[in-house]
Amino acid sequence: MRVSDETLQGIIRDYNGFELSAEELELVRPEIDFYLAQLAVLDDLELSGVMSGRLLRMPSGDESASGQGGE
Amino acid sequence: MAGHELLSSTISELAPRIRAGEVSPVELTEAALNHAGAMQPRLNTFITLLGEQAMAQAREEEQAIARGEYKGPLQGIPIGIKDNLATAGIRTTLGTKVLADNVPEEDAEVVRRCRAAGAVILGKENLEEFAAGATSNNPHFGAVRNPWATEHIPGGSSGGGGANVAAEVTFASLGTDLGGSVRLPGAFCGVVGLKQTFGRVSQRGLLVTSFNGDHIGPMTRSVADSAIMLQALAGYDPLDPSTVPVPVPDYTAGLGRGVRGLRLGVPSNYYYEDLEPDVEDAVRRAIVALEELGAVAVPVELPAMKYIGAVRMAAMSDAIVTHEPFLRASREDYGPDVLYRTLGGQFVLGHHYSKAMKAQRLIQEEYARVLQGVDLLVTPTTPLCAPRIDAAYVEHCGERHRVRGAGSGLVSRNTSPLNATGHPAITLPCGLNRDGLPIGLQLIAAGFREELLFQAGAAYEGVSPSLGRRPAVVGG
Repeated sequence: MRVSDETLQGIIRDYNGFELSAEELELVRPEIDFYLAQLAVLDDLELSGVMSGRLLRMPSGDESASGQGGE
Repeated sequence: MAGHELLSSTISELAPRIRAGEVSPVELTEAALNHAGAMQPRLNTFITLLGEQAMAQAREEEQAIARGEYKGPLQGIPIGIKDNLATAGIRTTLGTKVLADNVPEEDAEVVRRCRAAGAVILGKENLEEFAAGATSNNPHFGAVRNPWATEHIPGGSSGGGGANVAAEVTFASLGTDLGGSVRLPGAFCGVVGLKQTFGRVSQRGLLVTSFNGDHIGPMTRSVADSAIMLQALAGYDPLDPSTVPVPVPDYTAGLGRGVRGLRLGVPSNYYYEDLEPDVEDAVRRAIVALEELGAVAVPVELPAMKYIGAVRMAAMSDAIVTHEPFLRASREDYGPDVLYRTLGGQFVLGHHYSKAMKAQRLIQEEYARVLQGVDLLVTPTTPLCAPRIDAAYVEHCGERHRVRGAGSGLVSRNTSPLNATGHPAITLPCGLNRDGLPIGLQLIAAGFREELLFQAGAAYEGVSPSLGRRPAVVGG
């Protein structure tokens, strides 16, 4: 997959508010190529059952901040 | 003990002598500042050297010790701070022209903790611009040079710190590690570099950072010193919700326990692929050495590493968000490597970011599962040794790789996965390649098990071929 120069330059112009020349875009290209290559690797990965790893814990008793060293 | 003899010691060697009044923090700091001044033209490790302030701090600590107010092993010890960690009243540039005049009002939490422990801050250390790369070849403040071979990079982004520790300028330096930026200078400069568990150390005051996976960790000349530093840094910070309120153990307690019976997982995929031959030889020899000390090495599989590149997609997206205000106001002040690499993140779509985060979760689960069967994973820290400063590309295993800027990533391929999973990892010197450049051995533990890294690291350190080796700039 390759995204056209016009699309990429339009995104920078509209979202970032400045012009990116064709020469500058060539300097960004390796990063975009990497991104597109990784997307292709993810194609066969089933992600519908993956849960968030977020975990909030309430500090309690001797697990709280004080008295644990660190200072 | 006088002059450079003092500076080539370690924190754990000096601390009892400072406590006993045999070594003066003032004399130690004066010697460190003189050495820093002599090394600066050769290594370019500092952006701001704090001569007077450091001496004043050393005098305060010396007087406190004389009054019987001993704070612990860091008291009176000269250290360096990476210049992306906020220091109250002291310029904090992040290595960029964009923030060349930035003076924070408050210390980063880690800086506050170091000061509270009595450490003397010698200066703010040079780094990759915005800490966004692995070379420390800074376009605004000049390239940091590797003390083992000054035409080579020290690794990055905390290159000033790694080079200072190796060159015996600082006894420890605080770096930050988003993809390996503590462990890479550790490996390339032949010192110990620790990235502790995500959530173990407060990130408050780490400037212009990522939303996902940054860590603050120490570089030191010994494993014991790494343990001493983490003891000072670790702990819950109620103002940083990424820190976890779990007890902080005594990290030095297990240093002499050895490795008998420890199970070492040696990944059979990803980490040992495409290595510089000298790196693979050194790391395989290190595993044999650990087995001779009583550890048991077993092969392990990490199949989800096939998807590790996805994590970089998320990092690209995070970077553009972080840089958005600076790009708007000061795009022309950016160096090209960081500018064009960062702009790549503008094109990552939201649902691809979500895919990347889910892939990251699967990889985290896999490491958690594997680390139930073994105590540690053992890998090379980097697939190659330090490239030359003037190299835009390196030929590696038959392919051409970018060293810096957009599309680079070879140097950090073995370190960045642990930023995604959050697991603690340490790099230890394990010999030199045929050109005399240091090689790093990486140990990885389950979350919040840093004491295992120190236990195994201290055992290996005693038999490492790097034991007693010093870089050329200090007469090695």
